[in-house]
Amino acid sequence: MLTPRVQLFVLRLLLCLSLTWAGPAAAVDYLDDAAYEETAAEANVPDPIEPFNRAMFAFNDTLYVWVLDPVATGYSKVLPADIRGCIGNFFSNLAEPVRSVNCLLQGRFRDSGLALSRFAINSVCGVFGLADPASKEFKIAPVRASLGETLGVWGLGDGFYLVVPFMGPSTLRDFTGDVVDSIARSSYAPWNDDFTTSATVYGSNSINRVSLHLGEYEEMKKLSFDPYVAFRNGYFQLREKKRDHLE
Amino acid sequence: MLSRKLSVFCVVTACLVVLGLGLTPPAASATPDPTEQLRPFLKKVTDTLADPGLKTIPKKDQAERLVGVVRERFDFREMSKRVLGQQWRKLDAPQQARFEDLFTDLLQYAYVGKIEEYSGQTVEFVQQRIKANRAEVQTLLVDKDKSIPVSYIMLLHGQDWMAYDIVVEGVSLVRNYMEQFSEILRKDGYPGLLKQIEEKVRQFEQETKRT
Repeated sequence: MLTPRVQLFVLRLLLCLSLTWAGPAAAVDYLDDAAYEETAAEANVPDPIEPFNRAMFAFNDTLYVWVLDPVATGYSKVLPADIRGCIGNFFSNLAEPVRSVNCLLQGRFRDSGLALSRFAINSVCGVFGLADPASKEFKIAPVRASLGETLGVWGLGDGFYLVVPFMGPSTLRDFTGDVVDSIARSSYAPWNDDFTTSATVYGSNSINRVSLHLGEYEEMKKLSFDPYVAFRNGYFQLREKKRDHLE
Repeated sequence: MLSRKLSVFCVVTACLVVLGLGLTPPAASATPDPTEQLRPFLKKVTDTLADPGLKTIPKKDQAERLVGVVRERFDFREMSKRVLGQQWRKLDAPQQARFEDLFTDLLQYAYVGKIEEYSGQTVEFVQQRIKANRAEVQTLLVDKDKSIPVSYIMLLHGQDWMAYDIVVEGVSLVRNYMEQFSEILRKDGYPGLLKQIEEKVRQFEQETKRT
């Protein structure tokens, strides 16, 4: 299939990556004063389209307050928390192969194998991924990986901060990665890939996720002086933490 | 011959004893364990939150009582200093004290809501990390259907570990406020920031009065 020359190239590429991947994922050390300096990592991603982003933030906020939150609140009253947890597990399990490939592309070979093992264990023993015996019985913690991160490891910059309608905070690079990841996921998902079905699935997944975190959004908004800045900062802090695989 | 050996032996022993004494640190300066200090403190906080008597007094008093307990292990001055960044050094002592009071008020009103939300969540200690006079204690706030990772970032004052930042689910409270404040400082300067915090505190005050 692949010519030896291509195989050699891929091998070299992976080798180079595995030698350098620790660079961009450098951990934030709270015990170091540098973590509290004004040139924090999150300030390094520019926000040149702030007026557009603020408008999208306001749009998402309205959507959340008037649609997503009431629907998710009703939904949480109808379905008990453990069933909602199962639905969350199911969606998360479906994304496991994409995560495994991204780990591979980032040179995280161990994590790649773990993600695949989780997929196998949860699909078989966890009834199509509704339960998560991989974490509970086999003690394999969830692995995080996305194409946005892979591109970052390969040296591609964030571009700029981007608030995506219906989806929320992202960056140009990460959003591009998310689109490709979701196309990859839908290629093997057990439902049709027409727009209505995909949108319904995405919507139900969002409602389910919100139902498990009701009140957190309002809480953070209430405590902030400029919710737009607070959520931008929160997004970058959270991303930094999620991409810190060195622990 | 024997006496010479004996005297060499004595000298060596004496040296070792002196060195040994010099090397062993005096017991008083041993670093206290941050987790062991945080454990009884968080127990006290959850006990206060669970106290049914707390909910019968006015909201403002509830908040003050909670902050009184929290003050034992939280260093609001260090927190204020970090949240302001470089601006802190430009303020004189009374200005710094004023900001500290205002910021404490803000946190007090912000967290009075937690009293109502509290429904028997428990704290589990995960691990701790010490680096010179700083420590991070990682905990899990365990609720019915989820657990939230909460880290306490602490500084050693004499024999006491005092927290100056909380990291909830990977988001540091101080770093988040710091970025918001630095944007306000850039646009409206320090007086503008002071005005905005006062405004927010007043808003919270009115909300607690209404309920």
